[in-house]
Amino acid sequence: MASHHKWGMVVDIDRCTGCQACVMACQAENNIAVNEEVHFLSRRAHQWIRIDRYWDGDTKEKGVVTWPDVKARFIPVLCQHCENAPCEPVCPVYATYHNNQGLNVQVYNRCIGTRYCANNCPYQVRFFNFRDPLWPKSLWNHLNPDVTIRSRGIMEKCTFCIQRIRRAERVVEGQRGEQLDDAKLKAGNWMPACVNACPTDTLIFGDLNDPNSQVSRKSQDPRHYKLLEELGTDPNVVYLKKVDPQHAQHA
Amino acid sequence: MKVSRRDFLKLAGLSTVGAVACNIFPDREFQEQSPLRIPEDMVTGVDNWYATTARGGIETEGLVIRVMEGRAKKVEGNPLFPTNQGAHSMRSEALLQELYHPDRIPSPMRRVGARGSGQWEPITWDDALNTLRDRLSGVSNRNQMLMVTNSMRGSMANLAQSFAQAYGGRSAALDLMHETVAAQVVRDLFGQDRMPVFDIRNSEYVLSFGADFLATWGSPIQFSKGYGHFRQGEGRSRGTLVHVDPRFSLTAANADQWVPIRPGHEGRLALSIAHVIISEGLGSAAAVNAMTGGNRNVLEAYAPERISHELNIPLIHGKSPVDMIKEIAHDLASHGPRSIAIGGGSAGAHTNGYFNLAAIYALNFLVGSVGQQGGVILNPPAPTPEFGAFLNPTTVRDWQGIRNDIAGGAVRLVMVRGADPVHSLAALDFAGAINRDDVFVVSFATVPNDTSHMADLILPERAALEDWGSDVPNIGPGFQVVGIQQPVVNPLPEYDPMGFGDVLLRMAAELGIANKAPLNHVTFADVLKDHARGLQALNRGSVRNASFDAFWNRLLQQGGWWDEGSRGAAPPAAPRLADIVAMARDAVISGPTGGNTFNLLAFPHISLTDGRGANLPWLQSTPDPITSVAWTTWVELNTDTADLLDLKEGDYVNIEGPNGRSFTARVYHHPAAPKDMISVPMGQGHRNAGQYAAGRGANVLEILGLPVEERTGALAWSSTRVRLTPAGRNDSIPKFEGIVPAFQLSEHEAIVKVTNEG
Ligand code: SF4
Repeated sequence: MASHHKWGMVVDIDRCTGCQACVMACQAENNIAVNEEVHFLSRRAHQWIRIDRYWDGDTKEKGVVTWPDVKARFIPVLCQHCENAPCEPVCPVYATYHNNQGLNVQVYNRCIGTRYCANNCPYQVRFFNFRDPLWPKSLWNHLNPDVTIRSRGIMEKCTFCIQRIRRAERVVEGQRGEQLDDAKLKAGNWMPACVNACPTDTLIFGDLNDPNSQVSRKSQDPRHYKLLEELGTDPNVVYLKKVDPQHAQHA
Repeated sequence: MKVSRRDFLKLAGLSTVGAVACNIFPDREFQEQSPLRIPEDMVTGVDNWYATTARGGIETEGLVIRVMEGRAKKVEGNPLFPTNQGAHSMRSEALLQELYHPDRIPSPMRRVGARGSGQWEPITWDDALNTLRDRLSGVSNRNQMLMVTNSMRGSMANLAQSFAQAYGGRSAALDLMHETVAAQVVRDLFGQDRMPVFDIRNSEYVLSFGADFLATWGSPIQFSKGYGHFRQGEGRSRGTLVHVDPRFSLTAANADQWVPIRPGHEGRLALSIAHVIISEGLGSAAAVNAMTGGNRNVLEAYAPERISHELNIPLIHGKSPVDMIKEIAHDLASHGPRSIAIGGGSAGAHTNGYFNLAAIYALNFLVGSVGQQGGVILNPPAPTPEFGAFLNPTTVRDWQGIRNDIAGGAVRLVMVRGADPVHSLAALDFAGAINRDDVFVVSFATVPNDTSHMADLILPERAALEDWGSDVPNIGPGFQVVGIQQPVVNPLPEYDPMGFGDVLLRMAAELGIANKAPLNHVTFADVLKDHARGLQALNRGSVRNASFDAFWNRLLQQGGWWDEGSRGAAPPAAPRLADIVAMARDAVISGPTGGNTFNLLAFPHISLTDGRGANLPWLQSTPDPITSVAWTTWVELNTDTADLLDLKEGDYVNIEGPNGRSFTARVYHHPAAPKDMISVPMGQGHRNAGQYAAGRGANVLEILGLPVEERTGALAWSSTRVRLTPAGRNDSIPKFEGIVPAFQLSEHEAIVKVTNEG
């Protein structure tokens, strides 16, 4: 059964300041266990959406002294919800699959933790739970009841806040019998948590099947590109290039 | 077709990996296996959303909180609230963790061991309040009571002020990050008590000096909202941002051009830009005449050719400093009213900070952007004096006096609320001052902090999401706004906190000073309601109703009141440049000299700010956007300098300040840091502030020699030199960088694609 929705996102990196508000909002919404110091040191911090910072003109890499012409470039990276997701076919138990709304879905109670999917993801957006998540008991109070807590041995990743999409569908389409669109997603606070939080409107989420949605329009912007496009993964996340008037275009 | 799990596994076992792509299983089967896909017939919890406002860190944000079954679950920005417009910062997000903090103080506590021993016994509220009342009435002179608070605004400020006055005690507000210098310049140049708002959204050219407005300065979420549009808003061309700052801050990182400068020379650069505008006839002629008084030579000494060598501006993209100054002047002037000059942060935090900021803000007059769309928009005063109440932060100069009074025995009772002077005023040794047997310290706190650790009596306060309040955002959006804070949840049954306002009202009643408003109310909620009546009487703005109950409900629903029709006053006459030139002086940089010394730039941490967020695990675990370091203090050192000194990343170094004290922290190799400077984030170095903050990192404020800005007495936290010595140890630095390997395969396949058109 084909769905009438195809969820996608546009990330305009010319707007992104790297402020990390999206990262925090995601941690809060999706019950991601607190990344403690030890998890940074052991390189096992989980961030379903992360801000990668690249140095441009770094003195070390180019071998020439370019200071102060050094630029920091920020890019939010989250699951690309690929149409040809390399993570999906390698899962021996079908714990990750592509649903009929363009989402790359992770079924936690099916996952047996082979980590093949993480190995195969070129974007490094899948995280393995090497530990059971630990919160002091009092912090359980703020956990989101709509999101499963992942136990040890389970792979997890960005879901585009599927719990919010489902709630939106239930309320708008199920109960009110209306069509879900940008305005209704916004009004109900059902945009993915990162999108809601972002103060620069870098992240735009919506239905790629709806020609009037912002995400449809913005994905046609002349600056559009996809991450590692040549791999043929066909992501549902579209990036818009950073603009830098000083950038030597075809250097 | 019905497929049981068993059948499915059988099928799965037989199929090839490609099988999942064809539609042999009904979609429903898959989706219902996922705990995320709740079946239609399952009853899910009902969520309620409550609007409130809170000052989680730097600025007040309008919020809506998702509450399910009596527990707050998620913070979102209030889309109606005019400053943050639906977005919110991580500092607001983390209010949930203040609410449910594992170290929350459950009940009032009395000290039983020696001061600072951490030995307490729980007592009842009756006991606690009687003790407080007896202490308040027991001082031989009411002037011996000192109330230390954060820089409160709105109804709580009105109440605290009234209490201190009626009682006859002293009060002081602590907020070292407050832009005291900028506020004074705005008062003198713009004739305003409130900071103006910079209309970045509609601006074409933004020139900022030291103000890290995308991270921690002013009203970052409001400015970021404008910034997104400034970059790629529909129906406009892309704006240009130039950031002048000795440090590569987040705003510098996002600027089209970062201009590093010698610390304390920002004002000179601004005057040099002004010189070009005037001498080349670029600015608004009327403004130039008014500001120069006809004497076009007033800035002669600031011609770029004459002073550029003093500013230490390097060659940027092969451009000489003189050309750079001229280019900035041309760009600023050519965008006229749609250009903005912003100053603050490190530019104001020098001994000559006032001069720097006055010169910077004067540029706005020169190009005619004051009061213009896309320029600097003046904010009107608060709609009523009660909501407009504001506890102006006490300057460091005055803190020095207060500290000496306490240490000298002139203060017998110290009440501390919303501030942590033992941490923030470590360089003044505030802890040493209150460590006397004849001083009684009362701490109002939600979670323990370094000051409550030294207290005699701890009174657990309500968390922000459990309490009432109001606030007039400063920086406002250009019209009048009152944010209303309401309790969105009740405290958990195991906690028994009381609002600070309610305690003050009870004390006022018991001390017999409750004869007039606001002290004559029983609860702080009543005070707030009373203030709301004043708003209702205005009969204008976003909420209007003849019935108070209806008005009040709507106020709570919307999270506040605003009136877009109310505007700031007309811009005053432009300042005279001769007056600003007369104020010019050098920044006095204090600290060790000789080998291995560096200018130190302390900066507020993006999530912990000056340390007030340090006890919240989410804020600790937020990677710094540029270095990606979390959970600790780091020292930003230029990569080449570090190589010269043979310092690897993670090497501990000792940083010794002007007061002879030092701290140790790990080096981070920073390719954009100037070679003669180090930067260290504030925010860590707490000793007893709960499990997430205590014993972590270092407090950079501790080693400053407390230089002050000459005219205002504010802390000049960037006028410091330090000596750096290797400590001979190394440890990995906790950071996000490297956890995910850089996955870019070649230049051609760059992850961040950049274009020069747009
Ligand atoms: S919240 Fe927005 S601006 Fe901030 S880092 Fe995320 S995407 Fe970038």
